[in-house]
Amino acid sequence: MADDAGRPTGGLIGQPHVRIDGRLKVTGQARYPADEPLANPAYAYLVISAISRGRVAGMDLAATKATPGVIDVLTHENVGQEVKPPMGPDGKPTTTTLESDQIWHDGQIIAVVLAETYEAAREGAYKVVVRYAAEAPSATFDSPGVEVEPLKANETRHDPAKGDAAAAFAAAPVKIDARYDTPIQHHNPLELFSTTCVWEGPKLTIHEGTQNLYWLKGSVAGQLGLDLADVRTISRFVGGGFGSKGAPTSRTAWIAVAARRLKRPVKLVTTRDQGFTIATHRAETRHHLQLGATPDGRLTALVHEGWEVSSRPSSYNVSGTATTARMYACPNIATKVTVVHADRNTPGFMRAPPDTPYMFALECGMDELAYALGKDPIELRRINDTQTDPVSGKPYSSRSLMKCFDAAAGKFGWAKRDPKPGSMRDGDWLVGYGCATACYPCNIGPAAARLSLTPKGKATIQLAGHELGTGAYTLLAIVVADRLGLQVDDVQVMMGDSDLPPVPGAGGSNNAASTSNVAAKACEAIRQRLAMAAVRTNAGIFAGVDPATLTLVNRALVGPDGRSEPLETAASRVSPGAIEAHVENVPQGLPPDAAAALYHGRASLLRGQSREDVTAFAFGAQFVEIRVHRRTCEIRAPRAVAAFASGTIVNPLAAHSQYQGGAIWGIGSALHEQTEIDLRTARYVNHNIADYLVPVNADIGEVDVIFVPEEDHEVNPLGVKGIGEIGIVGMNAAIANAVFHATGRRIRKLPIRIEDLL
Amino acid sequence: MEMTLNVNGRDHRLSLDSRTTLLDALREHIGLTGSKKGCDQGQCGACTVHLAGRRVLSCLTLAAAVQGRAVTTVEGLAQGENLHPMQAAFIAHDAFQCGYCTPGQLMSAVACVREGHAASDEAIREYMSGNLCRCGAYPKIVAAIREAAPQMAPKMERA
Ligand code: FES
Ligand code: FES
Repeated sequence: MADDAGRPTGGLIGQPHVRIDGRLKVTGQARYPADEPLANPAYAYLVISAISRGRVAGMDLAATKATPGVIDVLTHENVGQEVKPPMGPDGKPTTTTLESDQIWHDGQIIAVVLAETYEAAREGAYKVVVRYAAEAPSATFDSPGVEVEPLKANETRHDPAKGDAAAAFAAAPVKIDARYDTPIQHHNPLELFSTTCVWEGPKLTIHEGTQNLYWLKGSVAGQLGLDLADVRTISRFVGGGFGSKGAPTSRTAWIAVAARRLKRPVKLVTTRDQGFTIATHRAETRHHLQLGATPDGRLTALVHEGWEVSSRPSSYNVSGTATTARMYACPNIATKVTVVHADRNTPGFMRAPPDTPYMFALECGMDELAYALGKDPIELRRINDTQTDPVSGKPYSSRSLMKCFDAAAGKFGWAKRDPKPGSMRDGDWLVGYGCATACYPCNIGPAAARLSLTPKGKATIQLAGHELGTGAYTLLAIVVADRLGLQVDDVQVMMGDSDLPPVPGAGGSNNAASTSNVAAKACEAIRQRLAMAAVRTNAGIFAGVDPATLTLVNRALVGPDGRSEPLETAASRVSPGAIEAHVENVPQGLPPDAAAALYHGRASLLRGQSREDVTAFAFGAQFVEIRVHRRTCEIRAPRAVAAFASGTIVNPLAAHSQYQGGAIWGIGSALHEQTEIDLRTARYVNHNIADYLVPVNADIGEVDVIFVPEEDHEVNPLGVKGIGEIGIVGMNAAIANAVFHATGRRIRKLPIRIEDLL
Repeated sequence: MEMTLNVNGRDHRLSLDSRTTLLDALREHIGLTGSKKGCDQGQCGACTVHLAGRRVLSCLTLAAAVQGRAVTTVEGLAQGENLHPMQAAFIAHDAFQCGYCTPGQLMSAVACVREGHAASDEAIREYMSGNLCRCGAYPKIVAAIREAAPQMAPKMERA
């Protein structure tokens, strides 16, 4: 890739820095979308379906309309024709809401009550009487009535394959043949899903927590038939996303319709339980994994077949075989994925969507294989480590997997492990050590940014980026300060508004790579203008010098011989006011229309596993100590150690938090989280944040993170690989493997709970 | 109904539905949106405020029931430009990511120290377990509380 972002100069990239938005966040001044001040808002409350399949036969709204304060009720009968249905997370048709009387799933939006106050809207919603024409629903795998759809290859999806895996597996001297299950999980970001819509004439402003401002804008404009320029989305801070706010969902357009009817702002804050069905989730998956190996531990066959549940109309799937097929050197690979359609809401992106469930299967299987071979699990991975993508034959841009294993194993004290299951004890506690590989593809998208610099050395960067907790504001301030020779405090970062230049959605861990590279490119554009002006003048010290050799350091333009002139002098030569650059960055390998599509909210990512030049992944190794009480079978995770190599780390302080938070998500995923479904009614039963278990403070002990240094000159000019998702990926298997080591019980489904060990 | 709420040392005269929670009164009627709604049913702690110096869940507290008692929200923690030691420690330790649980964590953390429940990491973990952090900032929250606790001089405390 062309090095048009140049090289780091200021020494700030890689230095820990407290968040520049930290003060706003600890004083209550950070404005999340539902915090926006509004003039005379009306309040909306959703009515959701109590059945999972059928039709709305009728609604009695008399009591609702008679409720003091209630203004209006939206149903499919009065507004159904005003909105085109939104597309699903895969950009294809999905379940609908008020467009018709059809009910696709439990908890589907079927009416919106509007009132003067929140309390009145809620009362009115409870008074809606719905008559249903109900049909028997299909809940999940094996339910009567599901439709089974084996996925086929097309332009965008392939089933990685190589050699003759079936024959190689049949002939393998050592084999593992096992099935694994993962549950339904819900992101449950702490911020409730909310939408506020405000019209000014033809212009619509939407305040909604989103990971993709331009996609939301484009989607709502399309649904309502509005000019793209008339829709603005604002989301300055997002109270956690984890994928749940990645794709547009149905509620937004209805709130826009409500605000248009009422001619005043309408604010919707949904309830925690509604969030389980009006947004997305991680679908339950099943896996059949076959590993064949030689007695000395070399893999000869890898067969991974997955099954995933989706809604009736959507074939959304995550196909994590694209990851598992590439993890280890293996000459014979076969993969396949099948979608099972049930009467459910459409799933969507959730932290490392493909990798979290699929790597659970592979990394448990590798542990089982290590035991079958009588080898140390780390050594088994070393034997099968590779610098070449086994599917495509392309080189990895960089792969520091074994460095991560060695660093984490040392810190963890793996050498103290007695491999025999059930052999390590501490009083009444059975102690188990487990480890697993973590990985995540390196994705990057096209992005645009506007940057200005004053002669006094104050910079402002503007782009429609997203701060979900990743430290996105701080990341950009660091990059700009580094490149322009300023201090971090000199940089103002403006994001969270679709009136600013577009960037891809914050998903697929692309944010840091996409935005830091475009920011660096904008800085380079300004440096070039300063340098050109400096060498062209007759008066200055740089007259006639090669402009490429001039750098910005410490508020000065510095030449190759160390001579320098103050930034103020250099900048005033270009403009007495501010110098501004508007740049777009389209990573090599993306289609020619990538920049244009970006402005319509359809940013295509260059994905780590489908690049022409290299295969690009970040890697890590995760280690966990599990303790299982001998009598009660209580399971604790007192400590975890993880090492990651993710190329350039812009801000190690926030990166540490991301990795650590990812690992804690992994503890939740492996030991706590599961959305339970009633098999007869296809309804979620634990749809609140007390019965859907997530880790609390007392569940979490030590979570150590090691940064393994890595320079990657192939992945993108700044060498940024992305870190938001990898932290969860190895945890499921590391914990299941540790449970096996502690107890001798191989649990092949998640979450692992007391009842599995009784 | 008419009522007067005392928040962060200031009286607010309001006319509210008798069902309005303290959380909604703060957010929707007084304009103090620092306190967050994460569940509205007492499960997450994002709405934690101090009522007469003790931590309460404002989503489970009716506004009408707190008249005559001092309410302190996250907006009332700092003294002018000077951050409360707990706020400063949260920034220094990066004890948050998205920041949505943070107002509730801070109010609970300050109360946790005042209650005498910050003597050990175990105690902090236990007494901070009513405040969920979905971003998983727990180890850093514990570290921040440990650091801020000895700095919490009584004069920094508002009643
Ligand atoms: S909003 Fe009050 S406890 Fe969750
Ligand atoms: S910082 Fe996001 S929920 Fe705690």
